[in-house]
Amino acid sequence: MMEIKGRILVVDDYVLNRMQLKRALETQGHTVALAEDGRQALEMLNAGDYDLVLLDILMPEIDGFEVLTRLKNDPARRDLPVIVISALDEMENVVRCIGMGAEDFLPKPFDPLLLRARIGACLEKKRLRDQEVEYLQQVARVTAAAAAMEAGDFTPDSLDDVAARPDELGQLGRVFQRMAQEVVAREQALKQQVHDLRIQVDEARKASQVAEITESDYFQQLQSRVGDLRKILDT
Amino acid sequence: MARIVSVHSFRGGTGKSNTVANVAALLAAGGRRVGVVDTDIQSPGIHVLFGQHSAELPKTLNDYLWGRAKIAEAAYDVTPPMEASAGRIFLIPSSAHTTEIARVLREGYDSGDLVRGLRELIDQLALDVLIIDTHPGINEETLLSIAISHTLIVMMRPDSQDYEGTGIAIEVARQLGVPNLLLVVNKVPAVLDRAAMQAQVEQTYNCPVAAMLPHSDELMVLGSEGLFVLRFPAHPMTALYQQIADRLLV
Repeated sequence: MMEIKGRILVVDDYVLNRMQLKRALETQGHTVALAEDGRQALEMLNAGDYDLVLLDILMPEIDGFEVLTRLKNDPARRDLPVIVISALDEMENVVRCIGMGAEDFLPKPFDPLLLRARIGACLEKKRLRDQEVEYLQQVARVTAAAAAMEAGDFTPDSLDDVAARPDELGQLGRVFQRMAQEVVAREQALKQQVHDLRIQVDEARKASQVAEITESDYFQQLQSRVGDLRKILDT
Repeated sequence: MARIVSVHSFRGGTGKSNTVANVAALLAAGGRRVGVVDTDIQSPGIHVLFGQHSAELPKTLNDYLWGRAKIAEAAYDVTPPMEASAGRIFLIPSSAHTTEIARVLREGYDSGDLVRGLRELIDQLALDVLIIDTHPGINEETLLSIAISHTLIVMMRPDSQDYEGTGIAIEVARQLGVPNLLLVVNKVPAVLDRAAMQAQVEQTYNCPVAAMLPHSDELMVLGSEGLFVLRFPAHPMTALYQQIADRLLV
């Protein structure tokens, strides 16, 4: 299976650890950004788009716990996976971080094979999670499209990306889009027909045909006798 | 005084006879004595809806017009079985024989005779309402029917070919001084906004719409087998026919 490459933010106050991780991760094909403390890490997370954070726990000022807390309290970033970096004698802190929502931990000193395995597993999990989120969002788009259809304000191109999916949801999107287009076309044709009602009565031609009838001898005679005929019936 | 109602359309196939028969049935079910005169002498057909066969109708309107019978002899009580109603329906059919039809087309008839005959009917049968099922289009017979009516119902379909003809019929009726003009739009596609369309029809013809009858395959099958409103009293279509019947009594 092809290894997934990601954009990874490494947060560690110790420069040698940062450089060592950067080298190892870039060797594995990932794109790496570095933050030397918690404050810089939060700034970079606000400004950029990452697939994974490698987070040291013990740092001056804003430590790993605080960074983790802020990430998990941010609805836009709470699903960003975090692997904590720790020495084996900091197991209590690791357990606390996992309890706060960290995905995994990476012991110092770094073992390249373990690093590759944990990063790979974490990115794969994120990819599946992203797919699931996108799937659910697109299902919600189809149900919203059904509501819009009922309300009469559906626009067919609003489902273009759902319809482009190769799976069953994509098929549902394509069928829905086609049916909606047919309904819209039919309704437009009918509205046009109602519109034509007003414009297709040619008043000049109608007046000429009415005159042809009302100027006939029979009509003139009838009009002069209508009072008498009604009297026969009404009296 | 009996109310005289003509039901007309500029073109054929608008459901005129079906509407006449069903409205007559509802009026009778409401206790009214109703006469139905088929003046569509060129292509008679409403008798079928009342379960009559032309071979079993010895006298027709034609016999009266040629002086071969009194008009009451051409009136048939076609009242269907109805619970607790004193109402009746009397049908005065036209002849379905081609020689009779050809004679009318060739010679015409005296309009005064027809009007006096209708008066006799009203008196002898004590009618509350007399409904005239006319021939489509404008000819001398239809002009006469329209002229003597208290109410004219013009039936149309939402079809460009009906729009202009309906306007002509309405205008001619206005010039003849018909007191009440009503439109009935039939065979309206179910997906169409009926309220919006009704508003547009009323605005176009400056004439009230008595009912917007939907197009229905179910009705086309069931409607040709007799009086729909009596077989399906709870059907929404029956309520729409009732709406027309109510307008005739106002």
